[in-house]
Amino acid sequence: MSVINFEFRNEVLKHNASLSYCYQCSTCSGGCPIALLTEGKYNPRLIIEEAILGLQDKLIEMQDPNLWLCSTCQKCVELCPQKVELTEIFTLIKNRCFEEGEVPSGFVSQGKAVLDNGVAIPFSNAILARRKKLGLPEIKTASVDEIKTLLKVTNFEYHITRRGE
Amino acid sequence: MKKLEEILKGALIIGGGIAGIQAALDLANMGIHVDVVEKKPCIGGRMAQLDKTFPTNDCSICILAPKLSEFYRHPNITLYSYAEVQKIGGTANNFTVDVLKKARYVKEDECINCGLCVEKCPMRVEDEFDRELRKRRAIYLYYLQGVPAVMTIDKDKCLWFTKNACRICEKTCERNAIDFEQVDQKVKLENVGSIIVATGYNLIEDIEKEALFNYGYGKFRNVVSALEFERLECASGPQEGHIKRFSDEKTPKKIAFLQCIGSRSDRAEKYCSSICCMYTTKEAIIAHEHDDELQSYVFYIDMRAGGKGFQSFLRRGASEYNISYIKSKIAQITVDEQENPIIVYEDLENRQIKQLKVDMVVLATCIVPPQGIEKLADVLGIELNDFNFVKTQPFIPVETTKNGIFTCGCVHEPMDIPRSVAEASGAAAKAAEVIKRG
Amino acid sequence: MEYDLFLGCVIPARLPFLEASSRKVFETLGIKLNDVEGFSCCPDPTGIEQIDHNTWLTMGARNLSLSKNGNGGILSFCSGCVETLKGVNFSLNKDPSLMEDVNKHLKKVGKNYDGKTNVKHFAQVLYENLDLVKKKVSKPLEGFKVAVHYGCHYLRPSEFIQWDDPFNPYTIDEIVKALGAESLDYDNKIECCGNPVEKSDKDLSLMMIENKLKAIQCSGANCVALVCPACYQQFDFNQRELSKKEDANYEIPIFYLSELAALAFGYDPEDLGLNFHRIKPQEFLENINFIK
Repeated sequence: MSVINFEFRNEVLKHNASLSYCYQCSTCSGGCPIALLTEGKYNPRLIIEEAILGLQDKLIEMQDPNLWLCSTCQKCVELCPQKVELTEIFTLIKNRCFEEGEVPSGFVSQGKAVLDNGVAIPFSNAILARRKKLGLPEIKTASVDEIKTLLKVTNFEYHITRRGE
Repeated sequence: MKKLEEILKGALIIGGGIAGIQAALDLANMGIHVDVVEKKPCIGGRMAQLDKTFPTNDCSICILAPKLSEFYRHPNITLYSYAEVQKIGGTANNFTVDVLKKARYVKEDECINCGLCVEKCPMRVEDEFDRELRKRRAIYLYYLQGVPAVMTIDKDKCLWFTKNACRICEKTCERNAIDFEQVDQKVKLENVGSIIVATGYNLIEDIEKEALFNYGYGKFRNVVSALEFERLECASGPQEGHIKRFSDEKTPKKIAFLQCIGSRSDRAEKYCSSICCMYTTKEAIIAHEHDDELQSYVFYIDMRAGGKGFQSFLRRGASEYNISYIKSKIAQITVDEQENPIIVYEDLENRQIKQLKVDMVVLATCIVPPQGIEKLADVLGIELNDFNFVKTQPFIPVETTKNGIFTCGCVHEPMDIPRSVAEASGAAAKAAEVIKRG
Repeated sequence: MEYDLFLGCVIPARLPFLEASSRKVFETLGIKLNDVEGFSCCPDPTGIEQIDHNTWLTMGARNLSLSKNGNGGILSFCSGCVETLKGVNFSLNKDPSLMEDVNKHLKKVGKNYDGKTNVKHFAQVLYENLDLVKKKVSKPLEGFKVAVHYGCHYLRPSEFIQWDDPFNPYTIDEIVKALGAESLDYDNKIECCGNPVEKSDKDLSLMMIENKLKAIQCSGANCVALVCPACYQQFDFNQRELSKKEDANYEIPIFYLSELAALAFGYDPEDLGLNFHRIKPQEFLENINFIK
């Protein structure tokens, strides 16, 4: 039995008030490509319904539906007659999952790469050679120290490194 | 003793639809002289375009026609058809009105509506009354049961006016009723005591086709709007009531009705169009009466059926007329290779995403303010609200923001026929009050 | 006319040939692209933003603050970077307290963002200079029947992307036509390629790209035009993956919009690094007699 968590609900509402405009018309789930392909197992309308009801256990602990299947195509946002910012709200909930729950490993490894290199994809030697061949200039990306300092300040470093343990 | 009409001011009604007609009859029966100005060649308005009316499923023109007749023959009513209000002056109980009566190029007293000229006219023009689903001629009767029953020549399409040629109608007419020398007439109405605005409504597809883009309206041949479907169902319409798909002339056996198209949306019109939930069930019931193999699917957000007998009308539709009501607003329409529309929706009972293939889709499109409302409001000096309908106050519903000017019907806000008629009588009473008070 | 060039991560470090053709196109048009030192990952709106929105805003604002190009602002070859930079701009300009919080972080590394940097997608700049583009076409793309894949982040959310119509776009079709090619309509043209789902469910991601490829095959198009490196990876790398898995053999050549423009401007396919595509376009170009 799911339990309503008013604190969770209010936190989501505080960050994005458009959650309260939803009138559950299901235009979003009708237009969502992932909902169609997963035959409704992924369901944006249901995620919003669960957020409205403050069902933290469903969204963060069980991740049912699995928010990570959202392809961020934003069709739902454009179709919604009430201008509910679905993708923003999903991002909010996924952020909470990053702090308290499970996250697919691909996201963590990308985060770690940025932490270690300042960029998500560092230049390999093969690529540097290829760039030279194509006549492309050398690119000076951000100082790794500067990015690390920034990510420390935002607490990103903390969350990424504790997952490594 | 002078007749009341001679000592009292008259009333002006702008709009000859059911609301305007009802208000005119009420005022005329009270002994007040009424001038009615109607933009189209005939009175009757939207009600003349409908096949049946809910919730009784009466034939629309059958219940309208007696009123048209009474109206046209009433000694206290003067109709200016094919005319528009240009300017007003003065104040309540003392208005002067400048009306422009457009030339029909047909003598109204001579034309007997025999139709010979129509047969001979070589120009084919999109028929506005039939929502451009068929063609009329450059000389035409606006609709079959139209009043006044006289022809009109469409100046923009007539070969004489565009290319200095033809004039076959003139040669054919046996009553010499064609008169190419006619000019637009300027009519000055004086002694107008009060004015009633009853200019009706337009549909969202008339002003903003982009709102319907995702549903393939205008692109997919088997997607039509509700008013188009009404004309198809009508025995005097383009398909004479035998509904056929535009792609292959087959009779549709599965029709999906999509609600809230362009309404209740922050991205189109924010308000509820009010009558669509009821007329959709009506259209589905009539379609089933024409073909009892029909299966209808109504996709809705909420079913709004608040009037007397409305809820049981819906239940009848579900139990006796094979209508499935599915709560799920549709995001978009696609078609397969045979142009069959495909609908993807979430079944809220079991949270499954389902696909439904149908033969035809009918879009319940939003009611919007009538064409030219901003100009008319400017001319009359009345205010419009945020949605461009006539501004009124909640507990004084038929009064506009200007003294002596009243409103009724859909130009006030979307409403059904019984309510339009009630408001019309209300507006007539208020208008009479101004006149009788002196 | 000049812009600060924001390259992001994927193009320079994984698909440098897309950078090559893009740079050449703007060189031909006479539009200067400044290389700015110190840009970091934008960050990825389908990656980092999803796990830490605050970090996304902060790193995005830092990138925006590095551009001192007045009204010219930033130009990017990647829809994802444009989505991030425009999105960060929109969020921070809408909420001054958020801007303040982010600038507090940026202060720690000696930076500050004033909210005034403009951001443009390279396709937007091409469309805004369509007459100039037409003038520079020396080898019209005859025989190219292009299926344009707009992708998602080029169009939506329209609230801050504010460019093309989110459901009925036309800008890239117009550019493709200006280059002398034919642009075809096809089913689910505005649907997503599926790339962001790959991090969570590879099979689902493959199903999405397969749907697009099937529709493109049915439309009669003989190649695809793209404006996003994430879409590029889906269409190029995963087309190969699909062909490995099932009997269906997909061999539709993929071109970045800038590669099409470079070809139309007369550049040699060799110089553009087209042979680095996984689905080699060589045979296609020969079959339509574009090259010998």
